[in-house]
Amino acid sequence: MRKIISIVLLGIVALGIILSLARIPFGVSKTKVGGYYIDKGREETGAANIVTSIVVNYRAFDTLGEITVLFIAAVGLGAVLSTRKKHKREQDLEPASLVLYTGCRFLFPLILLFGAYIFIHGHLTPGGGFQGGAIVASAYLLIYLGCRGRRIPEAGTKVIESLAGLVFVVVGLLGLSFGGYFLLNFLPKGTPNVLFSAGIIPIVYIAIGFKVGSELAGIIDNLMEESR
Amino acid sequence: MIYYIGAFGLIFIGLFIILVKRNLIKVIIGLSILDTGVNLFLISVGYISKGTAPIFSKPGIESARMVDPVPQALVLTAIVIGVAVLALALSLAIRLYHHYGTLNLRKIKEQRW
Amino acid sequence: MVSPVLLIAVPLGLAFALPLFGLVSKRIGKYIPVVAFAFNLIISLLLIPKVLDHSIVISIGGFSPPFCINLVAGPVGILFSALIALVGLLVSIYALDYIREGPKEKYHILYLLLLTGATGVVLTGDIFNLFVFFEILCISSYALVAYTGEKSGIESAVKYLIQGAIGSSFLLIGIGLLYGLFGTLNMADIAQNITTISPLSVFVPLVLIITGLGVEAAIFPLNAWLPDAHSSAPSSISAILSGIAIEVGLYAVVRVIFTIFGASNIFMFLAFLGVLTLLVGELCAFSQNNIKRMLAYSSIGQIGLILFALSIATSFGVTSGLFQLISHVLAKSLLFLAAGYMIYRTGSMDIPSFEGMGKRMPLTSLAFTVGAFSLVGLPPFMGFPSKFLIVQGALAKGSLFFTVLIGLVLFGTVIEGAYFFRVVQTMYFSAKGRSAFGGRGGKSNPGGNEASVVALIPVFILVALIVGIGVYPKFMTGILDSAASELLNRFEYIRSVLG
Repeated sequence: MRKIISIVLLGIVALGIILSLARIPFGVSKTKVGGYYIDKGREETGAANIVTSIVVNYRAFDTLGEITVLFIAAVGLGAVLSTRKKHKREQDLEPASLVLYTGCRFLFPLILLFGAYIFIHGHLTPGGGFQGGAIVASAYLLIYLGCRGRRIPEAGTKVIESLAGLVFVVVGLLGLSFGGYFLLNFLPKGTPNVLFSAGIIPIVYIAIGFKVGSELAGIIDNLMEESR
Repeated sequence: MIYYIGAFGLIFIGLFIILVKRNLIKVIIGLSILDTGVNLFLISVGYISKGTAPIFSKPGIESARMVDPVPQALVLTAIVIGVAVLALALSLAIRLYHHYGTLNLRKIKEQRW
Repeated sequence: MVSPVLLIAVPLGLAFALPLFGLVSKRIGKYIPVVAFAFNLIISLLLIPKVLDHSIVISIGGFSPPFCINLVAGPVGILFSALIALVGLLVSIYALDYIREGPKEKYHILYLLLLTGATGVVLTGDIFNLFVFFEILCISSYALVAYTGEKSGIESAVKYLIQGAIGSSFLLIGIGLLYGLFGTLNMADIAQNITTISPLSVFVPLVLIITGLGVEAAIFPLNAWLPDAHSSAPSSISAILSGIAIEVGLYAVVRVIFTIFGASNIFMFLAFLGVLTLLVGELCAFSQNNIKRMLAYSSIGQIGLILFALSIATSFGVTSGLFQLISHVLAKSLLFLAAGYMIYRTGSMDIPSFEGMGKRMPLTSLAFTVGAFSLVGLPPFMGFPSKFLIVQGALAKGSLFFTVLIGLVLFGTVIEGAYFFRVVQTMYFSAKGRSAFGGRGGKSNPGGNEASVVALIPVFILVALIVGIGVYPKFMTGILDSAASELLNRFEYIRSVLG
């Protein structure tokens, strides 16, 4: 019964959407805003990756909102999971075999380096702060899964997370005080395709990379601790 | 065109799972599928046939056939928001299991009129 | 000139820095929201005289409007952000003493971010930015509803989260369709080009966006989450949710309909939906025994009333709708704050256990009574001029449809009066021999009889505001008129953004 009602409802919604989608042809350029960003993006912001220049420069306010959302999720997760009494059952976790343990310890700095490479070069190659931060967090997940018993210090991740978030807001406020616009790109733009170019974009993306990496690692830490 | 069909297929599968299934973890998975479908729809709005990525990696790349970069920036934000909601939902599921001992949504209906 | 961006940037920065302050000293965390909202309130009040005639449009990043995100600080935006800052400040003073257990620092971070998200929703001029700030608002409220960690809280939070997440996915599909049709995300730009696409194709994004925003705005039938969520959250959070979150959701619906779509033939349907919501809310509230659930259903009813008033769509109607909105914000927050301490003292949320509160906690009961009377619409309080204006506005429109609906609205008001008087009667005139009722097993804290001074200060500031504006409503009509004209006058809005 429930299934039939839901299929009928979804059918009505589908019909409506198809009616509207008929007006949006697939594969044809339809936007003026996108064209402007592709044409003028490189000179106005100095970044070779146009998606980065949109995310960090033209629509930087959305990115600020996005890292706030991730911050809320991490804090909310900590708040929901924290009021549980910690059962001090130190289960004997089966220690990892030597191959696994050594392999994880060997791979950990390499993965961190790869993640850092992605978020530092966000304005030159595909990638950026969020992607690099997720890779950094996966390195920490590998350590949790492979070398059991190692933990990351919680105070350290909180400090990095807060400082990185503050860097973003402070950069924005500096733009406000220097140029009159919040998040104005006030550093010199340099020549494109060079690492030190594009004004505030590398700084913001490095801050985002650190913030996302430490936040996701904190979330993984909270969830892992719950399962002990 | 296949992208639109795929995206809406995922959206409707996700909605169907949320409306019909009883286990909370399955509902959360349905939510994740719904988010994936919506993101796929957003990206396919910006596609240009035979287009390339909007990155000027070598000086001299022509910009005529680059795909629209704005939906990609939107989807970046939407994926992160989806992950945040998922993380919060899973932590609530953990606490709910701790309180009720079951994840069956038909049984977790203590709040009535 | 102070930039309205500071209204969002400063609380955001303080929220990010709060864990760092927490490392220095454990007790400083609870004063930071007070500081942040005092700052916001001062800046909003300073900006009010400047925006009465023309809106301030700020672009973020220094580019010109359709190619960047812009904030539109018009009379509506600054009025709402002043209201959010005022209620945020008062409830954060209340929470200095009310929040005693649990991870307190995280509560203050989430609280600060919830109100920052609300301020962002009312100030933004870009539809995807609206989505992002709306998500900030919603996700903080999911986490705060579950803050107490009890069974009811977690269950309500899960249901709220699932419904809210489906709503925001619909909102995102609607935004994607709008981008595909118009090629831009700026609200003024879409508003300018809305007539170039046939109404049938624009209808589907409109319905999807209203459904998505309507989950948070608690329009019938999307409000199934509200009674559980508002009654299981801690009382200061119930005050913020009922007082701010659903109003901001309603603002987003109204902004989309009036400014972007300019859809004038949908107003009759919205008026009907508003009255339906009102009747459902009031009838369900009448049969409740749990006071917070009763107040939550009353919020649903009031949102229906505000939606009805706003969909009258004349200048009179929109002004009265905004006035009723402000009256509801102040009165409902007052009711939840007063009820919070009464629940804390008796340990239960059942109405019969509030007997004799008039003698045990005289000041708190007085405040509750003032809030209840204002909501019903009795004369010296703020609810009276606002409801009177709504009736006048509906009758002035002249159509039979609205006259019938206003009759139903008055019927709803009578029911509302009935259940509020029942509570007041229980508080002040208790029947003998029923005082052995006791609570439902919650913890009662009978230490001291009255609520603490720190909690009473915000309660009495709200009482003073309700009485003051009720006696002298002309104080507000200046800004309400220019706010109403900004909402109704979309060409003015487009001109001030795009030039």
